[in-house]
Amino acid sequence: MDVFLMSLPTILKTMVMGAVPILLASLGEVFSERAGLVNIGLEGVMAIGAFVGFAIGKMTGNLWLGLVVGMLAGIAVNLLYGFCTVTLCADQVVTGMAINILAPAIALFGYNLFVGSNPANATGDQMASLAIPGLANIPFVGNAFFNQTLMGYLAFVLVPLVWYFFKNFRFGLSFRSVGENPQAAETLGINVVRVKYLACVLCGALAAAGGAFLTLCYTPIYTDGIVMGRGFIALATVIFGRWSAVGVLGASLLFGFFDGLNVALQAQFQAAPVMFFKMIPYAFTIVALLFFGSKHAGPKANGKPYFREMR
Amino acid sequence: MAELLRMEGISKRFGSFYANQDVSLQVEEGEVHTLLGENGAGKSTLMNILIGLYQPTEGKVYMRGQEVEISSPGVAVAHGIGMVHQHFMLIDDMTGLENIILGDKRHKSARLQLAEDRKTVEEIQERYGLEIDLDEKVSDMSIGMQQRVEIMKVLFRGADLLILDEPTAVLTDLEVQGLFDIMRSLTAEGKSIIFISHKMREVMAISDRVTVLRRGRSIQTLRVADTTEQELADLMIGQKFQENTYQKVSAPGAPELTLKDVSWHPEVKHGGLKDVSLTLHKGEVLGVAGIDGNGQSALAQLVTGLISPDSGEVEGPDGSKIAVFSPQSFIDAGLGNIPEDRNKMGLVGGMSVAENLVLKQTASDRFSSGHGAWLKMGAINDFAEQMREQNDIRCTSVNQTASSLSGGNQQKVILARELESHPKLLLAVYPTRGLDIGATEFIHNQIIAQRDAGCAVLLISADFDEVLKLSDRITVLFEGQIMGTYTGANPPIKEISLAMAGK
Repeated sequence: MDVFLMSLPTILKTMVMGAVPILLASLGEVFSERAGLVNIGLEGVMAIGAFVGFAIGKMTGNLWLGLVVGMLAGIAVNLLYGFCTVTLCADQVVTGMAINILAPAIALFGYNLFVGSNPANATGDQMASLAIPGLANIPFVGNAFFNQTLMGYLAFVLVPLVWYFFKNFRFGLSFRSVGENPQAAETLGINVVRVKYLACVLCGALAAAGGAFLTLCYTPIYTDGIVMGRGFIALATVIFGRWSAVGVLGASLLFGFFDGLNVALQAQFQAAPVMFFKMIPYAFTIVALLFFGSKHAGPKANGKPYFREMR
Repeated sequence: MAELLRMEGISKRFGSFYANQDVSLQVEEGEVHTLLGENGAGKSTLMNILIGLYQPTEGKVYMRGQEVEISSPGVAVAHGIGMVHQHFMLIDDMTGLENIILGDKRHKSARLQLAEDRKTVEEIQERYGLEIDLDEKVSDMSIGMQQRVEIMKVLFRGADLLILDEPTAVLTDLEVQGLFDIMRSLTAEGKSIIFISHKMREVMAISDRVTVLRRGRSIQTLRVADTTEQELADLMIGQKFQENTYQKVSAPGAPELTLKDVSWHPEVKHGGLKDVSLTLHKGEVLGVAGIDGNGQSALAQLVTGLISPDSGEVEGPDGSKIAVFSPQSFIDAGLGNIPEDRNKMGLVGGMSVAENLVLKQTASDRFSSGHGAWLKMGAINDFAEQMREQNDIRCTSVNQTASSLSGGNQQKVILARELESHPKLLLAVYPTRGLDIGATEFIHNQIIAQRDAGCAVLLISADFDEVLKLSDRITVLFEGQIMGTYTGANPPIKEISLAMAGK
């Protein structure tokens, strides 16, 4: 128990840090699925965001510019997904899979061009942590929650905003109706196609931001495959979090907690194989889906293509 | 009265098929104008054009004398046109109020103004007597209330012209009366209603004028006061309509299927069966009357081998007890089945008409070699063409998907498939639900032809008129039990009605 208490600050710190990229990506996916688009291409979009964010940040020395350009790149990739699924009515799973193959490959190509044979090029700057005076000194949670990068704070601030958008905004209601019953939405003068594209833009931007967080705040060294399945975990957190911003926050933190536990256990039991502990968050995801993966929940028209003049 | 809407020379083409051709329609203020036509006559297409879901290939639309181009549903709303769809366009997961205000743009603020909108809605409710629980989720509402939410949606947007697409199809008789009251109070306030239906009695009761559509064309517009049900029916099907009456069989053949004290989940009042005994003879129609949800589904599943009884015995034609309950063994024994829901159980919507027609026989030598390993597409197509001819299945090609056919034609495909094998036992569950008179007559004739050929027919229907018309004997199900069995010739209607109510 003492050991656990001792490592608790570390666990919590890793929890919050690990939760942010997942939170950003899953907030993006909430927008996407609320408009009826299951985007399993999150992983690929995150990979693009991670690489472009890193490369632009390192080239210009301006990390925020890196983030913005990374998000734009994510939007571009996700609009490809949007064009295929919304305009061409292609299958969402197949298109998402294609994005997952294409986008990391582009990132790897860029990485080879950018880093080349000089490993020093793979190390970039990190955003500085901003401690909130007073709050940061609270035992256990202070350092974890109130000594983050500005980007981390912004991610958490997004949660109530997204929640409020869906609950209290006229457009939020329309947005939801597109994922529930697009035919009905269309008869009420809601532009279904526009909402779906907007969802693609938001999802691309947020998922890419999640990826960029990894390279700009999480770890200074860029490696290929840095996203490590976090896009898929974000997909699971959306289901686990019941398609709501607040739920997704909880699910992301829970995943982050298991990530933190993994780090703490690795330090504690150095004789055991590392991979065994690294497995924990992923195993937890599967277990969570076993209990919360009901197909009956969630937006009714989720994953279904929408043809306007369907007969 | 002033003219509200005029549609002139409307055509709509899907591929090479004209769903509407040179259709004209004129609606006046404050009238109920019925659009009458068989399934596939083009009523829904015309209305989808009017509300901007489809763009017409040709033709013009005028509102209050001004030409308008309805390029999207939003434009239709702006012109005061609103539609209550046959399949409700509601978001199940939202409340009544949320559904009503969804997509409305009257407030400048980006935030929802629920309190203010609630007031507006309540005022409209008061005015037209629309009873809605605004805070209930749609998925928890009765069908009647869901429909009132749909009407309210349209009124909330200030519609002057309401289109009601077969609004009575889903309602009970009492709810229909309530709907008619609402319609009358709407027209009294100067609103116009386009009413789509093919139930003649309702059309005569509620409408001022009727426009008849047939095979995509508008045939004639008449005042209800100057016409008769017979004339409308003739116009609708394009020939003299004569409702058939069938000779009742009094001396049927040997038993084909016997149920002895069969129970299945008897504790479930609305879905189980309790001590059901009945005998089905060759060459007779046994009609099962009763209000929906009194064990009809279980009886149908039992007779098709989908479920096996908890207790009691089922005997085949030779008096031997049936031990194996599986759809395949029942089909092998000569069962033909017209299931309850043609889209879910009768057809594979995404497959072609031809493929659906041979679904039961894919392993036969006629349509495949090696027991279904290799399909003989040529033989299948020839067969499908022949079936299409014999059964008057209206489609552009036997290779189009089954889901693209109208309801009546879908039912004809099922009937063609099931009767092709000359069944010994035919189960027909709600065989004409949602069909127009032409298709209904066709299906009734086919069922009686099977009976006359010696087939034992079990007819389950919630349409009492249909049961009376076709059955040689009538049995009544109530809460899973048989209330009595009556003769089909001169049936004691009053007694049967009481039995259906459980008395």
